[in-house]
Amino acid sequence: MKKECVAMLLAGGQGSRLYVLTGDMAKPAVPFGGKFRIIDFPLSNCTNSGIDTVGVLTQYRPLELNAYIGSGQPWELDRMQGGVHILPPYQSATGASWYKGTANAIYQNIGFVDLYDPDYVAVLSGDHIYKMDYSRMLQRHKEADAACTISVMEVPWSDTSRFGIMNVDDADMVLEFEEKPKNAKSNLASMGIYIFTWQKLREYLIADEADPNSANDFGKNVIPAMLRAGERMAAYRFEGYWKDVGTLDSLWDANMDMLSPGSGLNLLDKSWPIYGRSPSCPPAFLGPQSDVGNSAVAKGCSIEGEVKNSVLSVNVTVAPGAKVSYSVVMPGAVIGEGAQVQYAIIGENAVVGKNASVGAPPDTASDPDQWGIAVLGPGTHVAPEETVPAKTMLDKTHQGVKA
Amino acid sequence: MKGMHGIIFSYEKKTGLRELIDHRIHGSIPIGGEYRMVDFMLSNMVNAGISDVGIIMQGKCQSMLDHLGTGKSWDLSRKRGGLTLLPAFAYMEGRGGPGKFRGKMEALSGVLNYLEEDIRQDYVVLADSDLMVNLPLDDVLEQHIATGADITCVCTARAGEMGDTCFILDETGRIVDTMSDLQQPQGSAGLSIFVLSKELLIRLVRHCAAHNLYSLRRDVLQGMGKELHLHAYIWEGYAARINTIRGYYERSMELLDPQVRAQLFCPQRPIYAKENDAGSTYIDPTGVCVNSLIADGCDIQGSVRNSIIFRGVQVEKGAQVDGCILFKNTVVKKDAVLRNVIADKYVVFREGCMLMGHEHYPMVLGRGSVV
Repeated sequence: MKKECVAMLLAGGQGSRLYVLTGDMAKPAVPFGGKFRIIDFPLSNCTNSGIDTVGVLTQYRPLELNAYIGSGQPWELDRMQGGVHILPPYQSATGASWYKGTANAIYQNIGFVDLYDPDYVAVLSGDHIYKMDYSRMLQRHKEADAACTISVMEVPWSDTSRFGIMNVDDADMVLEFEEKPKNAKSNLASMGIYIFTWQKLREYLIADEADPNSANDFGKNVIPAMLRAGERMAAYRFEGYWKDVGTLDSLWDANMDMLSPGSGLNLLDKSWPIYGRSPSCPPAFLGPQSDVGNSAVAKGCSIEGEVKNSVLSVNVTVAPGAKVSYSVVMPGAVIGEGAQVQYAIIGENAVVGKNASVGAPPDTASDPDQWGIAVLGPGTHVAPEETVPAKTMLDKTHQGVKA
Repeated sequence: MKGMHGIIFSYEKKTGLRELIDHRIHGSIPIGGEYRMVDFMLSNMVNAGISDVGIIMQGKCQSMLDHLGTGKSWDLSRKRGGLTLLPAFAYMEGRGGPGKFRGKMEALSGVLNYLEEDIRQDYVVLADSDLMVNLPLDDVLEQHIATGADITCVCTARAGEMGDTCFILDETGRIVDTMSDLQQPQGSAGLSIFVLSKELLIRLVRHCAAHNLYSLRRDVLQGMGKELHLHAYIWEGYAARINTIRGYYERSMELLDPQVRAQLFCPQRPIYAKENDAGSTYIDPTGVCVNSLIADGCDIQGSVRNSIIFRGVQVEKGAQVDGCILFKNTVVKKDAVLRNVIADKYVVFREGCMLMGHEHYPMVLGRGSVV
């Protein structure tokens, strides 16, 4: 059945810079903002933009992600025609290979896209937090009569050396692409979100695959090749909140942004809902001695201690006398009696023992470079009275020895 | 086929629930910040491995129909069986008017075809939709089979309140007498959960219809109590029937007790509710929220104490909410003060308004009121 636009969501990366948080799961499956996982953002954007056919390309540790996506029902992506499809690498008559790069992942699934005979294909990342109406970007793509439209946003000039920068003409058509330039000519950074005219992309993917020297990557190979060939490349300016949560610091930052109304990431925004799969549990209970301020609290939580400037996910327990501040606590974690958690990310079902201490505020560090967020991986147990210093990472193999 | 089929009654009854049933039947009364009354019995059934449930409804069932949908939230959207909605339409046509069911046997006779054709299981469990309980119905069936009883009636170990059915038991747990409307309740209070075989159920429904009998309690338990082997299943845990505003308020407030919550929301038998897409609740730096249950999607800038707050409620700066139950999307504007108030969906409390109920007589505001 023909679809106008099919979305391909790149969710295969390991997310190695999230270290212990992605030891057992792919980055898009990492919990975010209390009730969500990272992948809820691009999936919900698809639904809200009227895209009902989504291929999710998985490779690294996909089990948790597969289980989470399931039939796609929470995102209304369990459709008679289309819907969400998980696409791992597979064997074919000519052999089998892993996805070698982002472009190769789509190349290996040309057959999937062709099933829907789409005019356009949106290529999305599974590790960005943002709310975007892809239908407006598609509109821009059609109006510009482009082969490829790249979503861009203005970044501070001081940050241009960290991004892929697009130099554009007066009509916002891309003239040049520079990867992490030292002296940028523009401050329009690529967000890694593309819409292609499918027949064009199909040609370039086949050509890219035939090139043995290619890294089979969109940013490094396909986009530059299209530019060199003189294809019409449009920029689509996005205004609003967008964050790549590929690092521990950015993941923590983005969670904290949910607590500040000025950040643009409004928790209570109903105009562009983010959907997710959440367990059945009773409402949060805030006990008689609890003290909660400037924090996000999700259902199933039981809070008897103090929680300030933090994001608590579903089913988190904060025991009496415990103090949690400037932290992100993922589903099912338990903060024991009298424990202190500061500037930390506590993974799913981790346990912080009685009177233990995890993380420290930045002003306690003698050398600012030595300071950082403390992180407990999923299922980590911190022993009673144990201290986990700032910038320390523990995973579940940690035996909880007394410090 | 082995196992049980569930039937839940949710039709209009005379009760003291006032404004809460202006727009709905008992089963869809919101409770506990996250649930509707019927969620408890549906979850009990699903957790006991029941895959087919029929809900007999009559009256203002729009909100109930909306809540139940396809039954997906309780995993009851199935190819075979699953959730079946049994509105009273066919029954009404036969009787030539919009009457009300006078009792359970009459309600069952209205769906006799369903009982005969669609129940695949050997046993049936009948239950009401106004009971807040989390009990293992599979245990009840096990006991039912072991005792060889005709009907097993679930009851508490103690006498209940006025209006409850009282069962008098012998030392083996057999019911020797069934009484009702006692000034001084005695024996064991019934919870209106009954297990019996499909075959006996159909026989009783036919018998009652043929003799113009309509009450399960009067015409079956009392009227045929000598011929039938009635046995009690004693439930020692928490159970709360909701049929007055005061009862609703007091039972709701009991949910603030961790021990009651531990019994009702035990992880082995979760209570399922309709899914929603609200984000987390945000508690502002100026907000206070203590000894309260709070659902998702709320924005708390004022102070909330000893209260039960449903989804999407806003409490603005300076507002004080104490001992209240606020349903979905209630807005409490700046500096409003509320004590012992129950507010139905979409109520707005204007800036600075002050409303006080009493804990024995809470103030109730109907849906969409603006104060």
